[in-house]
Amino acid sequence: MDPTASTGPMLNDCETELETKRSWSSSLWSWWPSWRPTSMSLLKTAESKILTCIQNDLWARFVTLPNQDRIWTLSLTNKLAPKPADQASKTPLVMVHGFGGGVGLWIRNLDALSRSRTVHAFDLLGFGRSSRPPFPSDAAKAEEQFVDSIEQWRQSVGVENMILLGHSLGGYLATSYAIQHPSRVAHLILVDPWGFPERPQSQTQEGQSEEVVKRVRPPRWVRAIASIVSLFNPLAVVRAAGPWGPGLVNRFRPDFKRKFEDLFDDDTMTQYIYHCNAQSPSGEVGFRAMSETLGWAKRPMLQRVHLLPSSMPVTMVYGALSWVDSSSGDRAAEIRGNKAHTKVRLIDDASHNVYADQPDEFNKMVENICKSVD
Amino acid sequence: MFPLDSPWNISFAGCGFLGIYHVGVASCLVEQAPFLVRNAKHIYGASAGALTATALVTEVCLGQVGASIIDVAKEARKRFLGPMHPSFNLVKIVRHVLRRTLPDDSHHRASGRLGISLTRVTDGENVLVSHFNNKEEIVQACVCSAYIPVYCGLIPPTLQGERYVDGGISDNLPQYELKNTITVSPFSGESDICPRDSSTNIHELRFTNTSIQFTLTNLYRVSRALFPPDPMVMKAMCKQGYKDALHFLKRNGLLHFNGPQTDRPLLTNREDEEVAEEEQDGKRREVKDQLLVEGKALMFYGSSSLDEHIIEYLPPTLHKALVEACMERRSLVQSLGNLLPVRMASVMMLPYTLPLESAMSLTLRLLEWLPDVQEDVGWIREQILKILQCVLRQAFRSFSQNVSARLFCQLELRHYRSLPSKPSSTSLFPTWMNSSGSSVQDVFVRLDQYKKQLLSGVLCINMDLRGSFKTGMTSPDSSRSFSFFQQDFNSRSNCLNVPHDGKPGKPLSRSKSFW
Repeated sequence: MDPTASTGPMLNDCETELETKRSWSSSLWSWWPSWRPTSMSLLKTAESKILTCIQNDLWARFVTLPNQDRIWTLSLTNKLAPKPADQASKTPLVMVHGFGGGVGLWIRNLDALSRSRTVHAFDLLGFGRSSRPPFPSDAAKAEEQFVDSIEQWRQSVGVENMILLGHSLGGYLATSYAIQHPSRVAHLILVDPWGFPERPQSQTQEGQSEEVVKRVRPPRWVRAIASIVSLFNPLAVVRAAGPWGPGLVNRFRPDFKRKFEDLFDDDTMTQYIYHCNAQSPSGEVGFRAMSETLGWAKRPMLQRVHLLPSSMPVTMVYGALSWVDSSSGDRAAEIRGNKAHTKVRLIDDASHNVYADQPDEFNKMVENICKSVD
Repeated sequence: MFPLDSPWNISFAGCGFLGIYHVGVASCLVEQAPFLVRNAKHIYGASAGALTATALVTEVCLGQVGASIIDVAKEARKRFLGPMHPSFNLVKIVRHVLRRTLPDDSHHRASGRLGISLTRVTDGENVLVSHFNNKEEIVQACVCSAYIPVYCGLIPPTLQGERYVDGGISDNLPQYELKNTITVSPFSGESDICPRDSSTNIHELRFTNTSIQFTLTNLYRVSRALFPPDPMVMKAMCKQGYKDALHFLKRNGLLHFNGPQTDRPLLTNREDEEVAEEEQDGKRREVKDQLLVEGKALMFYGSSSLDEHIIEYLPPTLHKALVEACMERRSLVQSLGNLLPVRMASVMMLPYTLPLESAMSLTLRLLEWLPDVQEDVGWIREQILKILQCVLRQAFRSFSQNVSARLFCQLELRHYRSLPSKPSSTSLFPTWMNSSGSSVQDVFVRLDQYKKQLLSGVLCINMDLRGSFKTGMTSPDSSRSFSFFQQDFNSRSNCLNVPHDGKPGKPLSRSKSFW
C-alpha cells in the first residue's frame, strides 16, 4: 500500500491485515473522496517516522483487551544494559499522554528513561492509534471507561506494579486509576495534570470593587458563544476544516514543530498531531463528557485526592510558564497532609508540554524519582 | 532566576486597545526593575505593543501614554457604531498623539534598540524595522504597525518607500523564540508576562506566535481588542498588567535586584523619573518590604490581598493620569444625552444622521488625503493592474486545466490498463497560454491554433502510449516506465514544435497519491 509505512521499527506487525479487514465493513463509502486528508495508515506513517529516532529496543504492538478494544503500546528496553535481568526486575515506568496526543510526543523522553528500566507508553483508549469506541456522556462513566481500559491493559501486558506518569488529561486519569487500584502504583508522577482545581462557584467575591467584577464577569454574549462552542467536540474545527486541517494545525500550533525541530526539520510533528485528532472523535467525546464550560473538570480531582492512600508517593511536576496553575499542586499536598509523600516541582522555561520543552531536566527528574522507587 | 549574564530583549504582543495592559507592565518594569528596561538589548513590539515599546525606548512618561490610549478608546466609544463610525479616524489620532508626545531626539534613542514588527504588503513577509532616520519615521512605523487593513482604512501607509500593514498579521510577538526574550501579552497563555486565568482549559492556539489559551476571559479580551471596553475596564487591565509584571519579577528574583549600579545617576536625571521618585512616600516602601516578606504564601493563596496593595499603589503618575482619563465630564448636555428617550431618538434618527455624518467625514478625509493623492492613486492603479493580471492568468489556467482534464479522461478511458502511471498533461501547454494575452482577438486566434495543435497532440499521444505500453510491460517498475514514456513524449512533442516545459516531479507525486 504505502512503501514508507513498513520502514518503521515495527517491521513484523500484522496489524495492516487486521486494519484492512476492519475497515472493509465501513468502506461502503470509500469511493467517495474523503473530506479530511487522514487515515489510520497516514497516522501510522507519521508515527513510524517519529519512532525511527529511538535507539533502544522497541517493541510496538497492539494489546487487545478482553472487550476487543486494542491499545497501541510501545515497550522499550535497553539493549546495552549491563545486566538485563537486573533491568527486568525493576518496576517499569508507564507513561500516559495528554489530550489530543499520542505516544509519539514522548520521543525526547523514551530513550533516556528506558536506560535503566522498561518503559511502556500507550495511546489512551480513543486517542492516537488505539481503538475508538463510543464513550458515554456521563462524566463518571466516561472516566470509568478510561480507567478500566488502563487496568485491562495492565492485565494484558502483565505488569504487576508500575511507576505511573501522566501528563495533562493523562495525569487526571492516572490519579483516578491510582485511587481505584492503589496496589498497582508504586509512585504517581503527574506532569501538568488537568482537572484538579474546582470551578470557582461565585465569581463576584465580597469586598471587591465594581471594576474588578466587571473584568471577571464576561458579558452575556461571550458566555452565549462559549455555551454554543461547548456543544461541539473540542477539536471539531480541525475535522470540519477538511483539507485545510493540516494547515490549520500548522498555523495555530507552530509550537509543536518548534519543540521538536532539532529532531525533525519538516512538518512531521504537526502532521502526527493532525492525524491523531482528525480521525473520528472518541476519546475527545469522553473528555467532553468529563469537562464542562471550557475545560473545568466536572469531577475535580482535588475533591478526591484524599482517597489516595497516604503512603503512596506522589510527585507533581509543573512547567513554570504553563497556564496550569501549580497552586493546585500545593493544595493537593495540603490535603494529603503527609509532606514527605507529596512533592511539587517546577521546571523553569517550560510550557504545558514540559517533557518536550526541557527534556533533559524533565528526564533527570523522572529518573531520580524512578531511582527512589528501586 | 532570569539569566542576566547574556543580553536580553523585551517583546510586546500586538493587541489593539488592550495595549493599556502593556502600559501597566511597562510602568512596573520601569519602577521596580529599571535596569531590566534600560539594559535590554532590544525592545520589540507589534501593533499596540509597538506603541508601548516606543514609549519605553524613548522614555516618554507612561502615564501620558496610558491616558492617551484611554482617550482614544473614549473617542471610539462615543459614537453609535463605535470605531466603525466613519468619522472616527484612528490613524489620524494615533499619528497626532505620537507627534505630540515623542521627544524630538527620539530617533537617536530608538535606533538599534527599538524593533517594530511590520507586514510588507507586496509579499506578506514580516519586517522588523529598527533603524530610524528621524522622528517622523518612528511615528510612521508605529502607524504602519497598527494599521489593520479594512478596520483602519484601505490604502496602506508607506514607510521608507514601502507599503506596510499591521505587524500582528505576520508576527505578533517578535523574537519570541529567543530564550531570553521577555514576552508580554495581554492574553492569558504561555507568555512570560500575561494574565493567569484560573481555568484549566487544555486548548490553546497560537495567533502568529502569540499563545492564547481558550478561556472565557480571553474570548472577551479578543473581542475587546478592536472594540474598546469601558474606561474603567481598561484601567483594571492596566492594573492587571502591573500585577502580572510584578509577579514575573518576583518569580525570577528581580524585584529588589538593582542590576549594575553604574547607571543610577542617569536614572535620577530623567524628569519623569524624578516626579515618580518624589511622589513615592515612605509608606509605599514599607509596603514593598512587606510584600517581599509575605513572599510566596501570598502569591499562592492570598492573591486578593496582594491585589489590593497593588491597586492602591500603582505608580502615582500613572494612577493619576488614568483616573483623570477615566473621569467622565458630566455636563448638562451629556446627562441629557444619556436619558433613554434621547438615546432612543438618536438611534431612530440614525438612518438620517449617518449619511450626513459620513459625507462630512468623507469630505474631511478627502481634504486631508490631498497631499498624498498622486502617490496613492498610482499605487492603487498598480494594484488593480496586478489583480487583473492575476485573475486573467488564473482564468486561463483553469480553462486549460479543464480542457486537459477532459482530454485526460478520454485518454484514461481508452488506455486505462495500458497506463502504468498517469501524467498530467498540463505540461503539454505552450508557455504563452500561461501568460496573459494582450488582446481578446489575439487570444481567439491563438486558441484556434492551439486547438489544432492539441488535436494532433492527442493523436500523437495515442501513438506514444501504445509504444510506452510495450516498454511498460517489459519493465515492472512503474517509475521507469513512466520515464520512458516521458522520453518518448518529449521527442514527439519536439517534432511538433510544441514548447514544453516538462515538470516530471509534480505529476509523479500526484499519480502516487492516486494509487
